[in-house]
Amino acid sequence: MRDPANPPAESPEYPPELARLPPGRHGLPREFVNHNQRERLIAGLAEAVAEHGYAGTTIAHITRNAAVSRRTFYEHFASKDECFIAAYDTVMTELRGRVAEAFDQEEEWPRAVRAGIGAMLEFLATEPHLARLSMVEALVAGPVVVERYDAAIQSLVPYFAAGREGLPDEVFAELSATTEEALVGGMVSLISRRIFADRTDELEALLPDLVEFTLTPYLGSAEAAKAARAA
Amino acid sequence: MASKSTTRPLPGRQQLPREFIAQHQRVRIISALAQETSEQGYQQVTVADIVRRAGTARNTFYENFRSKEDCFLATQEFAMEAALERVVETAGALQSWPQRVRAGLTAFLSYVAEEPALARTCMVEALSAGPAAVERYEKSQQAFVSLFKLGRDVSPHGADLPETLEEAIIGGVFWIVYQRLAAGELSTVPELLPELVEFALTPYLGAEAAREVASGDDDHPDAEL
Repeated sequence: MRDPANPPAESPEYPPELARLPPGRHGLPREFVNHNQRERLIAGLAEAVAEHGYAGTTIAHITRNAAVSRRTFYEHFASKDECFIAAYDTVMTELRGRVAEAFDQEEEWPRAVRAGIGAMLEFLATEPHLARLSMVEALVAGPVVVERYDAAIQSLVPYFAAGREGLPDEVFAELSATTEEALVGGMVSLISRRIFADRTDELEALLPDLVEFTLTPYLGSAEAAKAARAA
Repeated sequence: MASKSTTRPLPGRQQLPREFIAQHQRVRIISALAQETSEQGYQQVTVADIVRRAGTARNTFYENFRSKEDCFLATQEFAMEAALERVVETAGALQSWPQRVRAGLTAFLSYVAEEPALARTCMVEALSAGPAAVERYEKSQQAFVSLFKLGRDVSPHGADLPETLEEAIIGGVFWIVYQRLAAGELSTVPELLPELVEFALTPYLGAEAAREVASGDDDHPDAEL
């Protein structure tokens, strides 16, 4: 299924700033450190935010985690906010890329939806710190990030709207215009509630429920339930 | 500064019961917080802004609330109780569940439209007001879950519906309303009714029956249930 929201996904290589900090990071070669300072700062922020929350995070936390000087921080970012925005954008680019890739690999739309949701849940479940950063802390990080957060959620709409294509005219014509927005909002609320409560281990088990919920308006309950249970 | 209010006379208030005055002041402060928050954003608002808007003394504020945060949580509680009460009152008068959902959503949307400052505070600003506020926001959504769960009894496939369905429906309804409030499109909120009714009922009744209730054509609500 061609991804309607994004151009074809790039190679799914994991960006270095999202990789967990290497344990022996003080011993890294200087050249590597210099090249990766920005990435390390982003990773350092993610770690600090996971521990202290956005409000409680200081530049000192970030630079300590990244093992760089305060001056280096300010060479890359003007403020904590700016560093957070960079981190948020990095996480969302990665998440969106994975969803797009999974969606693209399926021929049929119901299976593509299932694959896309599955990829999102898997990413958030395996990266609880990044999940919290992007779905919980983003909301307290000021209007700029909130706007990006809203846009990121709305960017999922076309994946579901693609389901209208296969529908008989009378169903398609009558399906209300806000259907996709409501589906996306409902899905995200289930996901973020679990992240907020530190229950990221429950995320992947949501897959069948979310598939059935999102497919029902297009396929009806019975078909949606079948697609949800199909492996 | 803090002792100013104690010297202030309370003209004409002696006839009113003490409890009434206290409650009245509390509501004035809550309403002022909502106004200020919806105008400036939660982070910017100060206690000074709130008491100025409420026309009360700073002391009065601290007699009622420990802090801005405390006042914010009370505001959320106040608005949610009011909205829920209105929903239950309107919906409870009806027999059939689909009609109750329709009436309940009507009541909810009209509350939002009538109390834009409270609605914006509780549905938009709450998300950036710290973990306790977010938790309360989540809880307020949960309050609606049990109302929707009754739909499982009237649905032909009620037993097979996913466990999290109600949570997702309410999350979707809140998200749609949130979008309108965040965009300042308050006047369009009541117009959302048919779409939200259809969205909420479809998983239980199927699209066709849901649409019928949503459009208001369903004149004989109890005939088939």
